[in-house]
Amino acid sequence: MRKILILAKREYNTAVRTKGFIIGLLLAPVLMGGSGIVMALMHDKVDLSEKHIAIIDQSGIMTDYLTRAVDERNKSEIYNQETGEQIKPVYFIEIIQPDTVNSFQQKLELSDKVRSKQLHAFIEIGPNILHPTGDGEKSGIRYYSENSALDVVRDWFSGSINNHIRQLRIEELKIDDKSVSDLFSWINLEGLGLLSVDKKTGTMQDARQIGVAESIIIPYIMVFLIFMMLMMSAIPLLTAVMEEKMNRIAEVLLGSVTPFQFMMGKLLGSIAVSLTAAAVYVIGGIITASQLGLGDMIPYDIVPWFFVFLILDIIMVGSGMAALGSACNDNKDAQSLQFPAMLPVLLPLFVMMPVIQEPLSSFSTVLSLFPPFTPLLMLLRMATPVSIPVWQPLVGLIGVVLLTVFSVWAGGRIFRTCILMQGQKPKLGNLIKYIVRG
Amino acid sequence: MNVIELQDITKRFNGLVAVDNLSLNVPESSIYGFIGPNGSGKTTTIRMIMNILYPESGKIFLFGQEHSGTRIDNVGYLPEERGLYKKMKVRDLLKFHGELKNGKNLKNEISYWLKKLDLSDWADKKAEALSKGMSQKLQFIVTIIDRPKLIILDEPFSGLDPVNAEVLRSAILELQKEGSTIIFSTHDMNMAEKMCDYIFMIYKGKKVLDGTLRDIQDKYGSDTIRIHAEQGSAVMQNIAGIEKINDFGQFQEIRISKNADSQEIISEIMKRTRVYRFEVTKPSLNDIFIRIASPEKTEKENA
Repeated sequence: MRKILILAKREYNTAVRTKGFIIGLLLAPVLMGGSGIVMALMHDKVDLSEKHIAIIDQSGIMTDYLTRAVDERNKSEIYNQETGEQIKPVYFIEIIQPDTVNSFQQKLELSDKVRSKQLHAFIEIGPNILHPTGDGEKSGIRYYSENSALDVVRDWFSGSINNHIRQLRIEELKIDDKSVSDLFSWINLEGLGLLSVDKKTGTMQDARQIGVAESIIIPYIMVFLIFMMLMMSAIPLLTAVMEEKMNRIAEVLLGSVTPFQFMMGKLLGSIAVSLTAAAVYVIGGIITASQLGLGDMIPYDIVPWFFVFLILDIIMVGSGMAALGSACNDNKDAQSLQFPAMLPVLLPLFVMMPVIQEPLSSFSTVLSLFPPFTPLLMLLRMATPVSIPVWQPLVGLIGVVLLTVFSVWAGGRIFRTCILMQGQKPKLGNLIKYIVRG
Repeated sequence: MNVIELQDITKRFNGLVAVDNLSLNVPESSIYGFIGPNGSGKTTTIRMIMNILYPESGKIFLFGQEHSGTRIDNVGYLPEERGLYKKMKVRDLLKFHGELKNGKNLKNEISYWLKKLDLSDWADKKAEALSKGMSQKLQFIVTIIDRPKLIILDEPFSGLDPVNAEVLRSAILELQKEGSTIIFSTHDMNMAEKMCDYIFMIYKGKKVLDGTLRDIQDKYGSDTIRIHAEQGSAVMQNIAGIEKINDFGQFQEIRISKNADSQEIISEIMKRTRVYRFEVTKPSLNDIFIRIASPEKTEKENA
């Protein structure tokens, strides 16, 4: 054990006492949260350039209304009433008579105008929009632009046109407009957690509002943190061991330590590096959340589970990576093995959203009990506001412990055989042979 | 007492025999030279002694104890192909290896050996800054930093200039005087002749020589004439009784047939040219090595 600790200490010092580690430690959350920060900063940055929109109104009921509505909007919504600063772009509409002979040619010409930036978009309003028939062509409204899916102009026209259609339909029914104002009042269902009793004080705890942060962001951060730690410490073991083998450092060390001690020293060093980084993030996250008054959103009860799964996952993945690294002879071998070896770590990331949405579904349960995926997916389920059955994390933990023990045992046997072996390709058949024969 | 005892060890790789039924005893405080052509099984034997490879059959005893799965402290091993953590500073590197080997009084030992091998000025430099020769000396210090009882050196002199080779030789002899047992493999027969108490030669996995240099040479008898003649090897052709001429340029080494008379051969050469110097002697280790492992011999064996 003494020798394992000496090796681990060297690994730890080599990794942690570098500028790269400190910069990486600071940079990773910045990169993670970077897009959010950029989005928040850019939120108020609206494109204020004039928008010219052509309207082909086949219904004949929208032309006047839209002209008025756009005028009204341009008068009242473009400038901030208090500061006088422009906050929205001015819209100009151009009414185009529908070409009944060759509508395709007409739309093609308008499309070219959009391409040459003379127009921002054009809208084709079907003739039957007031009372839609089964014919989608005649009852639809089509918005043509270069980026129509994400275009905010489309949202404004969609709202305006539908408001007017609704108004026209009410007028046809000859009902007083004011008497049906409640008709369109929409009430959202407020998402709340469950009521509980504080076990220590016995006081009643009212239900808390459950937002997107608790439902998605917290579980996502937990899992991403483990993934990041794996990428930081366990995955690089493949190339680190391969390089030590190729640089003949391994044989020098094997004069003093057994291959198993060598591998465990590297693993323990990786765990220490990960725990350092994870502790910085978790403690930093808790302090930041508390400062922002979001402390009660953190699921403190699963923090110990986080560290247990983190350590086991690093041992499980790291021993596999070290074993594969020992079987490689050059960078080409390592590159060809890296992606398949990372699949057990990557695959859970692809199913995160369905698991977050339905943590209790049989799909989520089965996948989270599959030991290679358990550390990420069980933790993900536990971090959601939904209570999962108590036995499931325990059974998952037993599976992970068993797989970790097997991974260390099998990895040790491959490592012992391969670390001094040159010229043998790391084929699956060979690796299985080394595990079986030792 | 024997520090190492190999009892009938055999090792195969993919069905090919690398070491074949080998037995060897290495006495305490001796310098034992392992010689043999490339691929003959020297490194495999050394790795088995180090417990890095495991024999398929046979037993290995170190300090009287049979090998188990653990590493035994008190054994220093310098592999043939060696590397260091290049980003570590020289002193930190020595401390790291010293601690791994459970070395005592490391601070003083590090300073002593760095000074002895003329590396003191490099103590706080990274290993990557060292030249090849300096790296090799550092590797040697890594091997002996804990003053082990058994030191195994695989090709310790390869790539060293004569000055550094001499420094290393003197360090090895110092450790032997203190009681360490030294094994070293080498292709430098002169160094082996000068330094080794015992020579062991392995060829195609089998032991072909084992004993003191004198014992080995006695087996071959005084069948060699070392001669310095004015016209070199050209005048030695077609003389009855000469089996083989090794021409070293400045002198020639003549191997004579079993029943030939060395005096007659020398007088025949003197008739043909002027002889400055001659000596009837036993074959050198180099000659013995070549006799055993020469391509002609291999061809004959294969035939």
